[in-house]
Amino acid sequence: MNTPTTKETSLRTAVREFPSNVWSSIFRHPLPSNDLERSQTSFTNFFLHLHPVKVHRNTLRPIYTMGLGLMSLFLFLILVVTGILLMFYYVPSTTQAYDRMLDLRGTVAFGLFLRNMHRWSAHGMVALVFLHMCRVFFTGAYKKPREFNWVLGVVLLLVTLFLSFTGYLLPWDQLAFWAITVGTSIAGYAPLVGGQIKFLLLGDTTVGQEALLRFYVLHVAVLPAVMVLLVAVHFWRIRKDGGLSRPETASAKADAGVVQIRIEPGKRTFGLQGFVRGPFTKIGNVPDDTVYSWPHLLVAELFVFVLTVSVILLVSLAFHAPLEQPVNVMHPPNPAKAPWYFLGLQEMVSYSAFWGGIGVPTVMVVLLFLTPYIDRGQKGVGRWFARERLLANTIFLSLVILNVIFIIIGTFFRGPNWTFVSPF
Amino acid sequence: MRLALAIASFVILIVHGVVFYDQFGHRWERHQNAYFEQARSLTTRPQERAELEARAPHIEQVIVSSFGDTHVDRCTTCHVASDDPRFATYAEPLKSHPYSAAMGDIQRNGHWERRHKFADFGCTVCHDGQGRGVETAYSHGEDEFWPDPLLGYVTQANWRKDFGPHLKGKEYMEANCAQCHTEQNFAGTPNVTRGRQLFYGMNCYGCHKIDGISEGTLGPDLTEAGKKYKIDYLWESIVEPRANLATSFMPKFNLSEADVKSLVIFLKSRRGVNFAETSLDRYKAHVANIAVVIPPGTAGEKAGEQLIGDRACTACHKLNDRDGGVAPDLSYEGLIRDSDWLMAHFKSPRSRVPDSIMPSFRFPDEDFDHITAYLTSLKAPPPRTSPAETYKTLCARCHGDKGDGNGKVAWYIDPSPRDFTKPDFMNSKPRARFVDSIKNGVAGTSMPSWGKAMADDQVDGVLTYVLQTFTKEPDRPMKTRNLPDRNPVASSRESITHGEEIFLARCTGCHGRKADGKGPNSLDILPHPRNLRNSFFVDRLSDRRMMESILYGVQGTAMPPWIDYVSQHDVGDIMNFIRSLNSKPGSQQYASR
Amino acid sequence: MPLAVESRKVKATAEGQMPRRRLLAWLSSVGLFGSAVLAVISDLVFFKPRVTYSPSARFGIGKPDDFPPGTRIAREVDRVCIVRDGNRMAAISTTCTHLGCIVSISDTGFACPCHGSHYDQDGTVTGGPAPKPLPWFKVSLAPNGELEVDKNSQIEPGTYFTV
Repeated sequence: MNTPTTKETSLRTAVREFPSNVWSSIFRHPLPSNDLERSQTSFTNFFLHLHPVKVHRNTLRPIYTMGLGLMSLFLFLILVVTGILLMFYYVPSTTQAYDRMLDLRGTVAFGLFLRNMHRWSAHGMVALVFLHMCRVFFTGAYKKPREFNWVLGVVLLLVTLFLSFTGYLLPWDQLAFWAITVGTSIAGYAPLVGGQIKFLLLGDTTVGQEALLRFYVLHVAVLPAVMVLLVAVHFWRIRKDGGLSRPETASAKADAGVVQIRIEPGKRTFGLQGFVRGPFTKIGNVPDDTVYSWPHLLVAELFVFVLTVSVILLVSLAFHAPLEQPVNVMHPPNPAKAPWYFLGLQEMVSYSAFWGGIGVPTVMVVLLFLTPYIDRGQKGVGRWFARERLLANTIFLSLVILNVIFIIIGTFFRGPNWTFVSPF
Repeated sequence: MRLALAIASFVILIVHGVVFYDQFGHRWERHQNAYFEQARSLTTRPQERAELEARAPHIEQVIVSSFGDTHVDRCTTCHVASDDPRFATYAEPLKSHPYSAAMGDIQRNGHWERRHKFADFGCTVCHDGQGRGVETAYSHGEDEFWPDPLLGYVTQANWRKDFGPHLKGKEYMEANCAQCHTEQNFAGTPNVTRGRQLFYGMNCYGCHKIDGISEGTLGPDLTEAGKKYKIDYLWESIVEPRANLATSFMPKFNLSEADVKSLVIFLKSRRGVNFAETSLDRYKAHVANIAVVIPPGTAGEKAGEQLIGDRACTACHKLNDRDGGVAPDLSYEGLIRDSDWLMAHFKSPRSRVPDSIMPSFRFPDEDFDHITAYLTSLKAPPPRTSPAETYKTLCARCHGDKGDGNGKVAWYIDPSPRDFTKPDFMNSKPRARFVDSIKNGVAGTSMPSWGKAMADDQVDGVLTYVLQTFTKEPDRPMKTRNLPDRNPVASSRESITHGEEIFLARCTGCHGRKADGKGPNSLDILPHPRNLRNSFFVDRLSDRRMMESILYGVQGTAMPPWIDYVSQHDVGDIMNFIRSLNSKPGSQQYASR
Repeated sequence: MPLAVESRKVKATAEGQMPRRRLLAWLSSVGLFGSAVLAVISDLVFFKPRVTYSPSARFGIGKPDDFPPGTRIAREVDRVCIVRDGNRMAAISTTCTHLGCIVSISDTGFACPCHGSHYDQDGTVTGGPAPKPLPWFKVSLAPNGELEVDKNSQIEPGTYFTV
């Protein structure tokens, strides 16, 4: 059907074939039935051409990547969709924002549910992006040639945090107001420029109408745009830097099925792909451990998508997004806590304002940026907790655990006046 | 995996369906349909029946912007019959709002007419609650995060259970009536009027500021108390002042439940901007400081006696049979104090008792003159009774019935009354010192000179009673310590500087960096560390006693012996430093005891 | 559960596996497609506000006694003119049917200041570009004895409510 026929065209056939013509003009290939069509499907579809035609079998082992990056992407998509919908009923004004929250809860159809989805997806995205980073580290997937993509990933983590942070203020309740007051005060501890950063961020000396407007614009326009751009580059670099990360070949069990790559004579449509660095399109006698993206990779991706969406839906059905008292500038809650992902920072700030708020985080972020340039060893790539990378993994794991401990202490073990309390 | 995919897909579909279904068939729709049905059966006019047939449920709302913030009240979505008199006997939510002459509703030709029309006032202006909510829990404010639950109808789940019953009742709504009906003694708001009287009568105004009413600065500003706090918090703050802030020194007034309720209602009515008061009015009131209402007084002592009643001195102090349970007994004031002391103390209580919690009331001078005249006329000495009886009437109020320094007013007195049950202290001091303390009082504290009211043998009797009854252990032989009577180190700038260095290094944990006894550890120590800036006290302290206290500690208190850490010379420097804090011209009267 | 291995197994083994796979694929599609359809419908429901901040279309105007016979009062906020003629009452819109300006009451009826449309006392067009007569709204007596105008229900011009 995709090859033009020389059949005589009449109005009658045009009418009769109208549906199928429209269909085939949109979907240029039928559901593939052979390998050529499978590869063409990936190639000719705008949404699918991001994928390689074939992927390594090991890539699809769920225990390896756990689909964390993909889940983050899908959460981002959910956030974009629900966020745009919420924008229809939101007003970034100190006098109206909270009332609009009440309206969302009370009178807007699906308002509460959309807000739940948006809230829990945002929390989920922060957690999953972080876990994705941990996965990449523990499998050594940032090694050459993927160093820069790791750096991009760290930037994406920061953007994610900032997106979540800016969104935190928008409901304009006590939780939001004091969390942002605390959060921006932490930024104010930066040496030399701290006060300026805080002033620029808030547009004022305290959290107020200007801050709400700024956070709104950052949250719905600036940061999502940055995010989309960086995500695109992040994905593009995955292809250019050698394809989806995968366990090293040696660890694959089913090496028995070494077959010769089949090449349709005269139809080397792989074309440009031949230049791509990496093992997929090597022509000749190589162990063929690859499978076609359609359907294998796509089904896996679809599964991750469906899983992510259903988890978010169930969570949103079960738990309501918090909405506390309307802002009372004179009456801070005790304790006033930052969003949970900054509670580790707040906990550290309670020991030392400069080191907890600026020193340690800056050192951490700089270390993250430099990781691929410090750790140049090529061994142990593509395996979880490879023995060759014991030192690096241990350092990273202890930092992660330390951060998690701080967050847990800050979240559950801190009561009024930031004194130690037991949650039990 | 494909099976899981299929299952997950159906999870999505099901959740979606549930959420979708949830958006329809609200409870308010059922209420409205029930109303339409009932009204159809009640109506006699076919036209109205046809209209009711045609009506479909939808969210009703009243938008009111005349009273401060814009109120969006959707209450009539469920309470759809609120203005339909035929539904007077129905159950909520289909009950019609009652008519009441007290609210200004009038009956004309057998029909009631509302004074406050719902279309003009909405609902939350009077009732509070969350006008935007269309679910019971949210709209009635049962959600603990909503600051204004339905006044007098709803208590939130996290409120204290023992207060729950007190916090219900229609009278709480008077707080909202008073937003517009600001005139004093408005007939519709008896509780607000009573609360305002109590605010003056219990001397609340001495410490608390309410814009246009009072100017106190010791306690929190209550101008917006009604906006900031819920009624359970207000109630708790009055009956248990220290429940929310452990360091609060607000007295626990022993009010009747009805009085507490009136005060809560009055405070709840304080929302900063009361709609009928223009800001100009409030500014004028602020300037005029209408708090001081000068009562028509007669002259001299009589006026003083009346003033003490009007000014509610006995809300804290004891005078004859009235006892506020917070501040010292005034019954023998004429014997104990003179008029200079009283006047100075009125003007600034802390100028005489440096850690007093008594507010500086800004009464006109003639009022103070009258009160002083009355107090100095109280010259009847306490009756001569047995030492035990004397202790009970004169001492127990501060030192406690058990002599443990924990009398009913002890908490409000700083320095704390002496605990007689600690033998370490009682047995390490010579009897002469106790006699002196009783006879001449302890300067700079609430301990007055009882020698002016009692004979020497009475004093001796009480002291013997105390030592035998409360200090259970017998006398121990006094340790004689070889200490100079005078500070061996002459006061000089070097000496003071060196003394300050040692003080900052060793003493600030308890005595504080300002040497005012408010160091970080001071809260946990009883008796509290000495305020070394209390000049009255320090100036009467002999060099010998000060040196002994520092070198050998004060037994029975948290003051440890420092003899192992500092030399006598160092102690001399510290003493010079402490003296330098209190040096005032003409106050250098180091009595040697 | 490596997918690739599974798919090989499928190829290698009996064709009997295929219907199961088909069935599962079909079920998944139904689930996903169904929720997609529901999502679109939900969005439409979401976009239609249940309640808006504009003044209520159904509002009370006071007791019949407040309007002595012969009254013609324009209520500017509600954009409606209350007419009482003897025992009969009506509410006539004051929104010009031409381009939505507010008409004012004149001796002869209503006149629009924007483009010069004229209406007679019943709202019938007597001149100018207005294409339609001014609509009449339903007046009724609420249970509390007040008159109510419902701007959501237009009635035939000339239909009075008898008090």
